[in-house]
Amino acid sequence: MSNAVSTAPRAAARVSDSKQTDQRKAALAWLTVPALFFFLVFAVIPLAGVLILSFTSWDGIGAIGAAGLDNWFSVLADPGLYNALGLTFLIMIVSWLVQTPISLLLGVFTAGSQRYRAALAVLYFLPLLLSSAAVAIAFKALLDPNFGLATGLGLPFLAQDWLGVPQLALGLVIFVIAWQFVPFHTLIYQGGVRQIPKSLYEAAQIDGAGTIKQFFHITLPQLKYTIITSSTLMVVGSLTYFDLIFVLTGGGPGNSTRILALDMYLRGFRANLMGPASVIAVILVIIGLALALFLQRLGGKDKQGSQLEGL
Amino acid sequence: MSTVLKSNIQEAGTGLRGGTTAAKRGLGSRLRRLNIPGGLGGWIWLAIIILPVYYVVITSLKTQAGYFGQNPLALPTSPTLENYQMVLEADFATYFMNSAIVTLGSVIPTVLVSFMASFAIVRGSGRFLKLVNGVFLMGLAIPLQATIIPIYLMIIRLNLYDSLLALMLPSIAFAIPLTVLILSNFIRDVPNELFESMRLDGCSEWQTMWRLALPLTRPAIVTVAIYNGLHVWNGFLLPLVLTQSPGLRVLPLGLWTFQGEFSVNIPAVLASVVLSTLPILVLYVIGRRQLLAGLTAGFSK
Amino acid sequence: MKQPQTSRRSFLALAALTPFAVAATTACGTSGPGASSGGGGASMWYLSGEPNQTTMQKAVDAFNSANSSDKISVTYFQNDAYKTKIKTALGANQAPTIIYGWGGGGLKTYAEANQVEDLTGWFEQNPDLKKKFFPSVFGAATVNGKIYALPNQYVAPIVLFYNKELFQKAGVQPPNTWDDVMSLVKTFNNMGVAPFSLGGQSRWTSMMWLEYLLDRIGGPDVFKAIFEGKPNAWSDPAVIETGTKIQELVSADGFIKGFSSITADSQADQALLFSGKAAMMLHGSWTYGAMKKAGQNFVQSGKLGFVPFPTVADGKGDPKNGVGNPAAYMSISSKASDKEKESAKKFFKDGILTDTVINAYINSGSVPIVNGIEDKLDKSEDKEFLNFVYNMAKNAPSFQQSWDQALSPTAAEALLNNIDQLFLKSITPQQFAENMNGTLGK
Repeated sequence: MSNAVSTAPRAAARVSDSKQTDQRKAALAWLTVPALFFFLVFAVIPLAGVLILSFTSWDGIGAIGAAGLDNWFSVLADPGLYNALGLTFLIMIVSWLVQTPISLLLGVFTAGSQRYRAALAVLYFLPLLLSSAAVAIAFKALLDPNFGLATGLGLPFLAQDWLGVPQLALGLVIFVIAWQFVPFHTLIYQGGVRQIPKSLYEAAQIDGAGTIKQFFHITLPQLKYTIITSSTLMVVGSLTYFDLIFVLTGGGPGNSTRILALDMYLRGFRANLMGPASVIAVILVIIGLALALFLQRLGGKDKQGSQLEGL
Repeated sequence: MSTVLKSNIQEAGTGLRGGTTAAKRGLGSRLRRLNIPGGLGGWIWLAIIILPVYYVVITSLKTQAGYFGQNPLALPTSPTLENYQMVLEADFATYFMNSAIVTLGSVIPTVLVSFMASFAIVRGSGRFLKLVNGVFLMGLAIPLQATIIPIYLMIIRLNLYDSLLALMLPSIAFAIPLTVLILSNFIRDVPNELFESMRLDGCSEWQTMWRLALPLTRPAIVTVAIYNGLHVWNGFLLPLVLTQSPGLRVLPLGLWTFQGEFSVNIPAVLASVVLSTLPILVLYVIGRRQLLAGLTAGFSK
Repeated sequence: MKQPQTSRRSFLALAALTPFAVAATTACGTSGPGASSGGGGASMWYLSGEPNQTTMQKAVDAFNSANSSDKISVTYFQNDAYKTKIKTALGANQAPTIIYGWGGGGLKTYAEANQVEDLTGWFEQNPDLKKKFFPSVFGAATVNGKIYALPNQYVAPIVLFYNKELFQKAGVQPPNTWDDVMSLVKTFNNMGVAPFSLGGQSRWTSMMWLEYLLDRIGGPDVFKAIFEGKPNAWSDPAVIETGTKIQELVSADGFIKGFSSITADSQADQALLFSGKAAMMLHGSWTYGAMKKAGQNFVQSGKLGFVPFPTVADGKGDPKNGVGNPAAYMSISSKASDKEKESAKKFFKDGILTDTVINAYINSGSVPIVNGIEDKLDKSEDKEFLNFVYNMAKNAPSFQQSWDQALSPTAAEALLNNIDQLFLKSITPQQFAENMNGTLGK
């Protein structure tokens, strides 16, 4: 008798449990509505808008007219597009090659326990606090051949026409981007390094492995996910560099720093060609999606589950 | 991004507090052997970082004559605050207010709606939520810059052109994907048992969200708030296109306009750079621990 | 777990709403000075930069105190920033009541988009006003037979300025022919002085060189064909020769080192001339006034010389031909309220080119586009320069409007971009012509 009494309420509880759970889980869907609203209205719709605008002719001032595939043909046939594409990828790859090793090493460096390293880490972070506009303006002043660093340090080598010679301008852009963003990636790597279990290092030491071996056989492999994260942010981020280059060089000299995003802006808002500018925007989105997907594959980030197991 | 994340927060926290866990000691002794090249590299990089900052600060304190006359790296012989005065008179206080309004007005809603959405995605189930999650993930790869033209059009149609609100709305939208990603990963690591115990206590999902998930997700919330905040504070393209009145300029735009007008007066221009960075610098000095711990926690794997 | 949840939540909600509330109050109708249409009275956007900025501000102040019900508020923008900003403003229907411009292709874009008022009728009602101006200035203000802008300010031809002190030191005369130019380049380079100052980053400054060279070599018909959109008009041999000569000048170090990163907006190019770092400068006549103000007595002590652009051997162009801005042009936004339009028209009639303003322009070394000022010019301390400019404008058989204003904005942007590359020697003159041919008729 007592059994029936005790099981019945528990069974009833179990039934109402799952019903409750379903109700609760359904109700949860409403929580996403605000975020969805913002995102759909101000991100997804403009995305569709870019596609639609690429088939129109609009000078930004007057009415919007239909243009069929004209913009697509003219842009795809324009060598300027390939110049911009080439530059964007060049900056992306070189930036990665420059920033990743430096950030990695600095991350390892600042993860150390010495007191002075913590102090240095505080200072390393400074560039991130500046807006891109501020960084660009500061460097422009810094590179003045007569009153800048060149004269200050007495290094005539620094007194080049940085912003006037195409190749130099490009190199400068890459340098300044690195200057601004290495601190951020350093932080990411620092966090990654701190997570590496000390047991691995102690085991390696017992086995007699030196510091360099430890670095390549333990640190690097353990940082795999960190490298993917940092690289993803770096690569996708480099597609959107605009502020810095706009203020620093404006795309010049000539077209030597006219990356995709800048090319899009100049076509649309200076040359009054909103249609072709939208074509470039679509290309930007496609590349961004492709890159992000590619990097996801590389990192095998399909695991959405918690990684609690195994530790 | 997972629980390794949570243990990392603790690590980062203790590390910053100069704690002496075994991990620190192990890592430290290992690295001490790398000291000379490592140390050297560290100091070199410090020089690279500090030199431009130093140059900017001392030049901003020079008069124009001093700028033309002295060695660029020498300390000013007669330091002056007249440049700063000039910059302040050029409405920089207004620009600062505008930046603050736009930043707060973007970050707070972003974090709020993203937190709620993340909670739903993690705790809920069903096709709808999986779809929403997918939509947000896809959004990670969309650059804001690419959509500036339709956004310009949309803002005009909504009669919001040349307003601070116009700057906030797209910023919120584009900050959501990454915020949702980070927050949902965090919530995912909250042990199920805790949720169960809340449910058994009779709490609704809504209450669970605010009483359990929110406090536990705090480090990640700090991360995303700071990350998004920095982004919006330093944003340039949206204000460039969507505002025109001088009274609505935000700091980066004000900076650019100022340097365009006064580019011959380098000390004044650099003073404006310093002034525009000062607020964040102050926040950094105050909240550095939180900032670094938060950023490390949120992004590292 | 008894935390004050409600208070935290309500605080968050309040915090979230506050910025919106603040923003909403600032969002509805743009507040602040220089506000556009929306209840703030007539507004105007104008270029920053002295001495014109002060002149205009004084004119507006004078008008405002005499016409308190028609007050005009002005916002100043830098030249290059203005050119982009006005477009976004027009696109957003938030343009100021009075729109500053240079006429030509840009004005055509506005007129065809119905963004500016047709002033033909208004001019017919005010014939005195029309007769006040040089007759030649209305050309650039006319689109499809109708007048869409008020000519204003002064005529601004491009002038070859030179530093008399440096020329004395070198013992040379200002150039008459292109060969003179090339030999002067050698002379000054040997002296360690840059032959020509140039604000190359602004690009329209480099364009001035091509405008004159093309006219001297091929005459005004070459550009006329381009303007009319005749196919392959850019491939005219005169264009190629122009490009070749310019690249020869660049290769001979004719321009100051680093010219492609110097902007005209900062007036750094002018500073190079009056500080003795460059011997010559090809620039608009308005720089005379700017240099008078900033040059620390360089102009006042007679060190600034000026000559017409040299001729080119076997060139078809008349050496008296001029190139530059025939005037500045002010249009009225068609989206402004009727009251604002009336205020603007009143300002056009009574405020913008009063005697005070005319005198101010003359004092700063500019020739206003007003008839009957010969006496005033003669009385000025700058009469040498003023008469030089006045005669050039009056007697030029042909006066070509700046290319980037005559052409449509689309073609103009491509032009400036290609000129930039031409001066950097990254493209050949032939490539320049090819690229530009693609923009004909756009």
